Amino acid sequence: MLSRSAQGLYWMGRYLERAGHLCRLLRLQTEALVDRPLREIHFGWSRIYGSMSREPPGGGLDFGGDDSFTLADSYTLADDLTFERSNSDSVWSCITLGRENARQMRHCISAEMWTRLNLAYLRIQKLNIQEIWRAPESFYDETVAEIDTFSGVAASTMYRDEGWSFLQIGRFVERVQISTSLLLTQLAADTASTEDSEADWTSLLRAYHAFEAYDRRYGVEVRPGQVLDLLATDPMLPDSLSHSLDVVAAELDSIGPGPDARSSADVMRIAGHVDALIRCEWPDRDDREELLRQVRGYGRELHHLVASAYFDYPVEDFSAS
Amino acid sequence: MDFDNYDFDPSIYDEMFLPDGSPREHCRQLYETLTRLSAEELVSIQERVTRSFSHEGITFAVYGDDEADERTIPVDCLPRIISSADWRHLEAGLTQRLSALNLFLEDIYGEARIVHDGLIPVDVVRGCPQYRIEMRGFSAPQGTWVAICGTDLVRTNDGFRVLEDNLRVPSGVSYMLANRKAAKSSLRRLYRSSRVREVSHYGRVLLETLRELAPEGRSDPSIVLLTPGVYNSAFYEHIFLARQLGAELVEGRDLLVNDGFLYMRTTRGLRRVDVVYRRVDDDFIDPLVFRPDSLLGVPGLMHAYKLGNVTLANAPGTGVADDKSVYAYVPDMIRYYLSEDPILANVETKLCRRPEDLEYTLDNLQDLVVKRVGESGGYGMLIGPHSTPEERGEYAKQVRADPAGFISQPVLALSRSPCLIDGRFEPRHVDLRPFVLCGRETRIVPGAFCRVALRKGSLVVNSSQGGGGKDLWVLED
Repeated sequence: MLSRSAQGLYWMGRYLERAGHLCRLLRLQTEALVDRPLREIHFGWSRIYGSMSREPPGGGLDFGGDDSFTLADSYTLADDLTFERSNSDSVWSCITLGRENARQMRHCISAEMWTRLNLAYLRIQKLNIQEIWRAPESFYDETVAEIDTFSGVAASTMYRDEGWSFLQIGRFVERVQISTSLLLTQLAADTASTEDSEADWTSLLRAYHAFEAYDRRYGVEVRPGQVLDLLATDPMLPDSLSHSLDVVAAELDSIGPGPDARSSADVMRIAGHVDALIRCEWPDRDDREELLRQVRGYGRELHHLVASAYFDYPVEDFSAS
Repeated sequence: MDFDNYDFDPSIYDEMFLPDGSPREHCRQLYETLTRLSAEELVSIQERVTRSFSHEGITFAVYGDDEADERTIPVDCLPRIISSADWRHLEAGLTQRLSALNLFLEDIYGEARIVHDGLIPVDVVRGCPQYRIEMRGFSAPQGTWVAICGTDLVRTNDGFRVLEDNLRVPSGVSYMLANRKAAKSSLRRLYRSSRVREVSHYGRVLLETLRELAPEGRSDPSIVLLTPGVYNSAFYEHIFLARQLGAELVEGRDLLVNDGFLYMRTTRGLRRVDVVYRRVDDDFIDPLVFRPDSLLGVPGLMHAYKLGNVTLANAPGTGVADDKSVYAYVPDMIRYYLSEDPILANVETKLCRRPEDLEYTLDNLQDLVVKRVGESGGYGMLIGPHSTPEERGEYAKQVRADPAGFISQPVLALSRSPCLIDGRFEPRHVDLRPFVLCGRETRIVPGAFCRVALRKGSLVVNSSQGGGGKDLWVLED
């Protein structure tokens, strides 16, 4: 397919994955505002901002130990992460950019996919933080549902050509990057803190739809190491690193090498290597943080290599078919 | 809802009613259905149609509009119906007209017999900004310069008139198809019983046409649609058509020319392109030949085209034949090239380049429509009866300064068709743009983009100026 179309679909996948992930975290975070202790709320916001490598508005998080401050600040923070136009990672920006890519590649996706996404876009255009703040978790719930529905509609209606593969690669490369960042932020906070962090790990499980899976595998007691193992290595968990990397590898395999032979070979090599890190090395290594850093680095490399293998390859070596 | 308060004017042709106020025979079923529906039901249908356009993102862009770069095109849910006899007449006239226009283009870029024989003054052709000297001596594949034509027609009390021929990059066909989809879903039973001719095969017919124009020896041609990009006013249509054709939607940056052949950049490497359905204006398609500052085109594209290694549809240089001055000569062209009388009449046109026409125009500004020859989209024109003396004075100065840049026409009483406006039936002026496709043969899908001047009393149907659309039904015999 046309390289620019493939690139558009890849980015559409990335933006929508990013929007969905952020909404899931914000849903948990706004739910926590109702009944969780200030420490947890504070940690929740730091975890989101830390994983996004973004400074909160005003430069820092200081709730001053007062409920009213916490709520007022949470309102500002949620606005920054949800509707802020200048924040290119906000939910609004990601849905708008995802939809813009879809609009330009509308001929490559199904009509049903476009309509679902356009509806989600039209809805968020009409809203602002003030309007959703009465029941913010419902808004995030509905937005997550819209993005999940879009993915479901895509799975059931999109033709399985290269466009589908690039859309999937975009989604799952994004998932690897945001998951590793989030897990690293959680680990760093855990190392720095002396307080019991079970609730933080529990909310992480919920953000990854992994609570039941954890329960089944490890029982009711939440242990950080086991949460990490599950989220990294369980190939049956759709949000795990292992599953995401499996999808990327499978889709790359189905596309086959791109016009740039060197980048194509590199992308396959990196995909294989990072998969081996998770599958083979993870159980035997204690330095999980270092391992996650490596996975995150490979994730970034995968992004660049996919672009140079299929989208922005040089054409000096003229070899047309 | 009844038509009791419908602002019927027997002096203006009404698409639904005879001058005595009774419904035309071919509109009777529609009339009866509409009178059976309540105002609430009709409003709900209208809202559903408008909502579906918004949800599906059926949009256009208006240049210079900062607030909304995408606007949903306004749509009226009541169809306009054309009888089968009327359609046969239009079909024959449009086919005849496009044949003559293609022969004209082949001629003026070749021997220019029509000029030598004195039928058209040389300066009308050569002085036209759309005349492309670069095309001289070129012969279009199968003589088809114009493969896709969108002719604007109006109906008056004297019958159909051609308002203009759009021979460069005519748009609107996607709205024709979207309007049909909306009408089908909102007036289901009526549609089924009315025996309306289908338009949904337009994409297939267009594909067939483009395939027929592929360079020789390319049995399975690769076809692309070249768009200026997402900011173009018709981008929605480009996407829509690419999908219908199963073609890649490309921008100039996706293409390159090597060794006289055109290629596109794909995920599998470079792939040869055989036919370009281009929706980019002549000026921008090749910076080596036309505007050197163009970023929308492909350097070397004209070279590949002239070698016959790729087909451009439409060919560059076709704009000379839809110039507003040249338009006045189309009936003569038909007689000259085809030895036939024109089936469809032009609107009587005065060319201000002629001193007597200039004088007439200036003397009668208040009764005429005056248009700039180089403008389109309803821009740059004066509608005399709707203008103030100051506006006419200002306009007259411009006409005097550059007479060759203007034409004038009488104000036409465009036919009106019932529309649902604020929950009531109200007449609005309409035109129609059928799409004529020309490959090895000429094909016309039985339908058109019917444009509506939604503002009360307005004669301007352009979507950029408050116009909208409605479905047009051509009935079976």
